[in-house]
Amino acid sequence: MENNNPGNSNCSFRDGVLMQCAPLAMAYVPMQQASQPAYEADQALVRGTLFPGLDLPFMNVVNKGSFSGTPLGELMALDFVIKELNLYLDTHKNDTDAFQTLKATIALYKEGKDRYVKLYGPLQVMDLDAADSYTWLCDPWPWDYCDETED
Amino acid sequence: MFVYEKKLQYPVRIKNPNAALAKVIITQYGGPDGELGASLRYLSQRFEMPYPELKGILTDIGTEELGHLEMIGAIVHQLTRNLTIDQIKEAGFDTYFVDRTVGIYPQAASGTPWSAATMAVKGDPITDLMEDMAAEQKARTTYDNILRLSDDPDVNNVIRFLREREVVHFQRFGEAMRILTDKLNQKNFYAMNPAFDR
Repeated sequence: MENNNPGNSNCSFRDGVLMQCAPLAMAYVPMQQASQPAYEADQALVRGTLFPGLDLPFMNVVNKGSFSGTPLGELMALDFVIKELNLYLDTHKNDTDAFQTLKATIALYKEGKDRYVKLYGPLQVMDLDAADSYTWLCDPWPWDYCDETED
Repeated sequence: MFVYEKKLQYPVRIKNPNAALAKVIITQYGGPDGELGASLRYLSQRFEMPYPELKGILTDIGTEELGHLEMIGAIVHQLTRNLTIDQIKEAGFDTYFVDRTVGIYPQAASGTPWSAATMAVKGDPITDLMEDMAAEQKARTTYDNILRLSDDPDVNNVIRFLREREVVHFQRFGEAMRILTDKLNQKNFYAMNPAFDR
């Protein structure tokens, strides 16, 4: 894409790339230049984006804390990074760095998911192939309240 | 097709029931700028899209919005756990309760049921992507307003996450618009409709 060329920009990561001349009567959003800098997976999930350049909180109040203490929290964080890179790559399909990071994160997610499913049960019906019984119905369901201390 | 995954995108753990807050937050389940409308808008508009980047972004954001619908349902469900009739009356939740008990129904905070009239599918990629960018901003403002109305940190963490997703989605739809206009006639973007005039 002609407008998506990070090479010719001296802009900070908070800025994107716009063309010098643009046809009238159209709205233009600058292209995000690169998938870096990026938060670590856990912080990305806490803050709601992988990308510090897009992290624009209301009244400058940001979420604190971490989900990395819980097995599901770690899986959620990896899943979230995959989602963010998925959306980024939809509009930056030639970014090979982002694609390599996506592949590496999917590999980590698959390992983590296999461990999780063995210990805590299926996340999808497809995970039941190695189960001893029909554990799909086991509580808790995602919307049920669970005290953090129970994890 | 869709495959259900038995987890939320972001944890929802709300310790204190609060019927007054539930009455407000239900609007992001079935209100004019809520997650049900968001998911149906994107998942419906994608069929007309002429380029793979646009099919992809609408499918992938639309799918994420279904996960947000589930999170809003979880918030309202947890906010309405173990309420007494007195708490329901004091919070003004009685007008919801009489029709729905504490079930989750897609409606606006005003009580208006969800309507497809709150979303658009125009069959023109420029028009629909512009609608999507506006939709993300409207949802962002709604989450801003919820943050003004709520002082429960368990709720606000989740709302801040969902609000930030609107900002990211706006950026991606804006980039999708750039990809689209790059492929159109630079002298006149409006010379034809690329979803119809092939």
